[in-house]
This record gives sequence, C-alpha cells and structure tokens, in this order.
Amino acid sequence: MKKALIPLLLLATVPAMAKITNFDFAGRLYTKWLYRNDDSQGLLTYGNPFWPDNMAGDNGVGTEFELKIFGRVSKYVQAYVRVKSRFGELWQDWWENGDMKYPGQVNTSGESMGMNHASYIKLRGFYVRFAPPIPGVDWITVGSSDLGMFNAWTIGKVRFIDRDNGKGWFIDGHIGHSGAFQYNLAIIALPKLYVGPWWSTGIGDPNLDNPFYSQDWAYAAKLNYDTPIGSLTLISDVTNDIEVDMTDPDAVGSLYPDCKDALGHPIPGCSKDHAVDYTSRYFSSNTTFEANLSPLDWLTNDFLVGMAYNRPNTQETANAVADNQGMSPIVYKKTLSYAVRERLYLDDPFDVGLSFKFEYFNIGANWNSIFGARRESDVLLTDGFLDGDQLPTLNLANEFLDFDESFVESCIGWHGGTAILDYDYDAFTMSLEGTFITYNTNGQNRDVDKTYPDFLHSNGYTDTDLFDYADVTDRGRDPRSVYHRNQDRRTWISVLKAKYTFDVLNGFDLGFKGKFIYDKDFRSHKTAADDYTGRILNMKSWLTMNVTDGLVLELGDKVGLWWEANREGTLQQGYHDYTTHKNITYFKLGYQYEGISLAYLFEWVRKKQYRQGMDDQYFNVLRSKATLEVNW
Amino acid sequence: MKRLFWVLLILTFSANLSARTIVDLKDPKGDDKGPGTYVYPTDPVYKPGSFDLREFKVKQSGSKVIFKVKIATRITDPWDSKSWGGNGFSLQFVQVYIDSKPKSGHCNGLPGLNVKFKPDSCWEKVVLISPQGKARLMSEIDQKAKTLKKDIVIPIRTRANGMVLTAVVKKSDLGGTPKASWGYQVIMQSNEGYPDSHDLLTRKVNEYPGKHRFGGGSDYDCDPQVLDIFVQPAKGGKDEVQAQYKALKFHCDAKGHGPLVELPMVYPDKIK
Repeated sequence: MKKALIPLLLLATVPAMAKITNFDFAGRLYTKWLYRNDDSQGLLTYGNPFWPDNMAGDNGVGTEFELKIFGRVSKYVQAYVRVKSRFGELWQDWWENGDMKYPGQVNTSGESMGMNHASYIKLRGFYVRFAPPIPGVDWITVGSSDLGMFNAWTIGKVRFIDRDNGKGWFIDGHIGHSGAFQYNLAIIALPKLYVGPWWSTGIGDPNLDNPFYSQDWAYAAKLNYDTPIGSLTLISDVTNDIEVDMTDPDAVGSLYPDCKDALGHPIPGCSKDHAVDYTSRYFSSNTTFEANLSPLDWLTNDFLVGMAYNRPNTQETANAVADNQGMSPIVYKKTLSYAVRERLYLDDPFDVGLSFKFEYFNIGANWNSIFGARRESDVLLTDGFLDGDQLPTLNLANEFLDFDESFVESCIGWHGGTAILDYDYDAFTMSLEGTFITYNTNGQNRDVDKTYPDFLHSNGYTDTDLFDYADVTDRGRDPRSVYHRNQDRRTWISVLKAKYTFDVLNGFDLGFKGKFIYDKDFRSHKTAADDYTGRILNMKSWLTMNVTDGLVLELGDKVGLWWEANREGTLQQGYHDYTTHKNITYFKLGYQYEGISLAYLFEWVRKKQYRQGMDDQYFNVLRSKATLEVNW
Repeated sequence: MKRLFWVLLILTFSANLSARTIVDLKDPKGDDKGPGTYVYPTDPVYKPGSFDLREFKVKQSGSKVIFKVKIATRITDPWDSKSWGGNGFSLQFVQVYIDSKPKSGHCNGLPGLNVKFKPDSCWEKVVLISPQGKARLMSEIDQKAKTLKKDIVIPIRTRANGMVLTAVVKKSDLGGTPKASWGYQVIMQSNEGYPDSHDLLTRKVNEYPGKHRFGGGSDYDCDPQVLDIFVQPAKGGKDEVQAQYKALKFHCDAKGHGPLVELPMVYPDKIK
C-alpha cells in the first residue's frame, strides 16, 4: 500500500501541465535608430515634458522586446498577459542594471543610468475575461483595457503605447433577446498620472502632505441601441479623486491631531476613532448622447450632444494656474459646459465619385474631457491648424513622440462649421475643405492668472516640426493654449488634397496638399495695436514609388510660408511681426521581406524666422529615423 | 480660366458617369455570420455590419476595371492605416475570386481562408482589396502564396468611402475585360496585421470570440475563415442567407480534422 502511495504523492506534487494548444503567443522585436545633427542623446525626440528624463534625445539606437500570451483557460474563460522590455537602453550602454549608484556623477560602472537604460521586462498588461452564466451578461473583463468602448468626449480611447495601462472591471452585456440593446459598465482605476489637477490624483500637489491615490476611480456606463438605420448611444462617466480629510484627527498630517484648534480650544465633534474620513479633491463628469443614423445608403447623420462638469476642491488642491505658470489640465473653478456636433455624410449620392461632408460644431468654453482620448482620436472633420487631430481636452499628449509623428490640438471652445468635397475617380482622388471657426473662449479680461490656464506660450502659429516644450526656439502657441486674457478671434481654413496614381512601371503616386489659414484675433478691444493677423500657407508634394516587390520609396518636399502681424509681445512693450519660411525635403524607404519590416526616413529642415525687433533665427536640421521590426 | 475649370469638371464627372457596369450582385443584410454561427471579435472597433457584404459591382472604364464592394455600415479606420502605409481603412479584407475560363484554374483559396472552390468553379484571378499597402501585400504573397503570385492582382488604387470599398485594377491584369459570363466570388475577411505564419493577412475564427478573434468556428483549421460571401442568384433575397450558411457549413472531428468547404461562384449571366 505504501509503495502505491508514493507515486500518487509524487504525482500530486507535480504541477498541472497546461496544454500548449491553449496558448497563443505573439512576439515582437523592434529596433529604432534616431539621429540628428545635434548633441542630445536618447531614443525619443519628445520625452517627458515636465521632469528631466535621461531617455529622450535625438541620437541613439535601442531595441525593445514584447511578448503577448493569450490563454484559453476553458470555454468561457480567457486570459492575456503582455510583457515588454523598457525602451531606452542604447546599444552603447552595453550593460546597465538599473541602479543609479552614483547619482549625479558620470561613471562607466554599468550602474549609473537608472531603469530607463536597463531594458528590464515589465508586466505591461493583463486581463482575465469570462462569460458568466448570468442572463444579459456577455463578458466580464478584469484587468487591462484601452477603454475603446467609450468615446473621446468621455473616457478613452487610450493611446496605443498605453493601451494596457488602464485597469479595472468591465462588464459587457445586452438587454432583451434581440441583442439590439447593449451596455458596457466599467470601474476604472484613475491613473495617478494625468487625470486631475497638476496632472495627478494628488502626487506632486503642494497642498497635500500625504497624497492618497489608491481609492481613486472612474465609473462609466454606455447604453447602445441599434435601430434598423443606425445606433443611439448614451455614455456617461464620473471621475472621483479622493483624499484624506485633513481635519480628521486620525489622518497623517492632520490639521487637528489633538482635536484642538490653533488657540488650543477643543473642536466640537472631533474625536479619534482610528478611521479616516475622505473628501473629494477633484470630481468630473462627462456625458454624451449620439445618434448615428443612415436612413439611406449614401446618407449618414451623426448628431452628438454632451455636457461636462468639472469640480476641483480648492481646499485639497493647490492652484496650478497661479502656481505653475498657467500650466494646468483643468480650469480652477467649478464649471458646467456643453458640446454639440452635427455631422452629415453624403457618400457619392450621384454615383459619380462625388461625396460631401458637412459639420457644425459648438464646444463650450469650459468643456474638458479630462479622461478622454489624449491623442490618436479625432472629434472634428477639419484638418485643423496642425496636421494632427482635434480633441476636446486640455489633457493632450504631445509627448513620447518622434519628430515624424503629428501633434494633436485642443478644440475646446471651437464654434463653427466645415464643408468637405471629396472626389474619387479611377486613379485620382481629391478633397477640398473649407472651415470657419469662431471661439466660445473669446472674451475680454479673462482671468488667466488664477482660473483659466493659458499654458504660458500662447501666441503664434505652432511649429510642430521644430517643437520644444520649454519654447526656447520660439515655436509658437502650445496646442493646449485655448484661453487668453483678451481674445476676439476667428479663423478660416482651406485645404486642398489631391493624389493621382500613375500606371507606369510598378505604379507611382503623385500627391499634393495645400492648406491656407487666415487667422484673425482682435485681442484687446481697447486698442488695435495688438491685433493679430496670421496668414499661414503650408504645402506638401510627394512622389511614392513601388520600386520592387516589397520596396517603397517616397520623395517629398514641404514648404511653409507664414506671415504673422503682431504675433508676439505685450500691450506695454508693443507687438512684433514675424515672417517664417520653412522647407523640409525628405525621403522615405519602406521594405518588407519575409516578415521583416524596415523603414527609413531622412529629413532636411531649413527654417528662417524673421522677427521684428529681435534677432532672426535660422535652423538647419538633418535628422533621420530608421526602424526594424519583426513579429511572430 | 473659369470656363476651363468648369469644362474640366464636367469632363471629369462625365468620365465617371461613362463607366459601364458589367456586374451588379446583391447580398442580404445580416448574414455576416459565415456558416450562421460566427460572431465578431469583442473589441469595440468591430462594429456591427463591418463585415456584412451588401453589393458588388464591376465597372469598366477605359483600360481600367473598377470593383466596388458595399458593406452594411460606414467604413472606419480605427488603426490609422495611413500611418502604416495603408489605404484609409483598417478592418476589412476582401478577396474577389474570378473564374474567367471554364474547367481550369486554382481550386484552393488563398492561405488563411481554409476554403476550396467547386471543381467547376475554380479561379483564374483573385483581386485583393486590402487596407495594406502594396509592399506589405507583395511581401506576404512572396512568403505565403508564391506559386499563385502571377494570378493575384493588387489594385493600382484601393480606397474606402462611406460604405464602399473601391479597387481600381488594370484590365490587362485580369486577362481582359470582365464579362457577365465569368464567375465571381467575393469573400469577406478581416485584415490581420499580425497574421499566423501561414495566413495571408487574415484574422482567425476560433471556437469562442476573443478581443481580436472571431468566434463560432473551430480552434483548428477545418473551418472556413470567411464571414460573408455571395450566392446565386445574388439578388439579396432572404433565401440566400440559408444558402450561404449551407455553403459554408463545416465538419470538424474531435482532432480538428475535416474537409475544407467548397465555395460556389456566382455567374451573373445565369441569374434569371
């Protein structure tokens, strides 16, 4: 009997072996070379804008590895894990273990550059999904989500590189048997970085001795009803950043640890009970209703209306508008605002390749999607000022980018309309846009000292090709700068895009894009001496060729001609005119072979900035980016 | 100058109007379930109707042939295809198989579909309407379907507008002007940028749906990885729903073995 028990006991100690068929693996290796004719070192053109990091820079080569594991635990249970190495180690680092053994000292020990240069493997994302035997509940997900089930006006979608950072509970289901009524419910951990005053849920706030962020959550619900001609969608969210009530005698750093006031008198009702009370530091709520209906195959009407509420507790959070040079992702007061967007698509109604898009937008001056999409989403049809997207938030993410990636801009306060004509025929495509914008943020004597953040550098057309966070290069307006002390502004935008594919050799595309912006801001009504007039002309032409199977070459040139009257200055010292000439010549290579993907971009940037009353500036920049990627 | 503009404009539109429609097939709404059991991946980018074929047109315009595939919803680009050299949409991947010669051609579908064609409906050419750029497509074909390369047609232009995917193809690449007597089959799949090592940019159908996997099929390769097709008479009638489900019905044994389904072609001139 004993002999029989031994093998059984041994078997019992052997862990259960998972079947390999229950696993789905996906690997990725990515290497980037970044070079520029400057003396910075790092792997990322634009890194963290607020704190010094030792990863961003224009010269370096580094590699990252990613492994995704999908598990099928059972019919109704799935699991997912993504591990990834930290990106930032230069090949020249040779060896770094993540220590900073001699802070502030240069050394070659391999223990000096910190975790940014250590390529450590980190758990980046995970979830468990299961389909419970509960009527009306389809899936419950516990763990990571990119929050793509909501919309850019409320919550998410999180940018791709952060797609697994958001963690929470997510319930997806339906009501009734038809499946027409669906719902999504979510409880999401608030990111301690970015959702709240000071871009945090407490950490770094001068008013807080003991930032308490472990019970900060967002709550969101989406109801969707599919009609025979489209969908009706209601989304609502709440974010609540709570902190310990500092009047509670049990709180660390309590104002009244002995339940006595400053004069030593007992405080009525105050007593220690070994429990702390909480209070809200920052609360927000955004709600949208969207009707997306296509009564005809060629006609789609998309109507959206929303409200946004913002409530900082001025006792629990310091005033970043006043104390942080006007840099704040929120308006420092209680606000309630609105947004309306009406969009009409007429998709080739005459079957001749001619389509139309029309949009009316009216976004309130105090709207802010604090937990909404920060980039890689777009809420308006217009091409806008920059080449990127428009988002209704002060919380834009124009960081962790390379020079070849576009910037997003805030459309808070925009009120106007867009008309776009698209034409497609054969190998030719063309698009013509006209947009007029006036601003709900127009006004006189707006309080940008204590209430409305102006983001410090708020004048002039933004140069995103030669951007820098601290504005040491006079690069123009911060894309988040929607509030000004005095503004009376309106803008006209015209865009023409055209492309033709020639059926010669392996085929090549010839493309053109031209954009003209007329931007007028009367600024203060007390004088005409500060009136701004911007005439901005940007053009791009390019030629793309399929050289051989898998090899694509693109040659192009971009020209910028900007005439800006009274771009920069003050009423006291006067304003200065700027004229900018910019030219970027570039070529791109893309090569795909047997699963390997190579890309190369080279740019030569020349810019002359003629500044009235100041020294002119000249930029002569050579830069390149190459990537090599394999997925398996 | 103004007059010249209007003349050019009219000439351009009239050129478009002059395109001759050779084929116009319809497909019923709501049959984007493969053999009737398939469900979409659970990620919210896969909106209802995104893989539901509604209409297929072939037009001739000079030396070009224009393919138009209409689906049941507006086509979106949630993965920003322009940033990876794509064609302005992300999710759909349509393969148009053409039987231009009787009793000849390839009888297997492209890798990743797990389908064959009926012996009397094999294909001579297949047109790929994909969001991927030409370089990626050529690389994938070289890697996974090299023997079929000369019969795989990559359009000179592919684009999306509203609910319609459009592909412009050289007539010479098809071996002549398309005819109503030819057979056509339009297969709706989903573009997978990180495909399995044997799949030509197709998204897998598994037994249960995942965030980016269709469900309702099999975890093995005995099920057709196809969401929607056209079936005779291709007028969009409700009877075609069941005909499609029947055409795509698959049988897998416990070990995941089973015969590949055989797809029919639609011959427009045989439609009564």
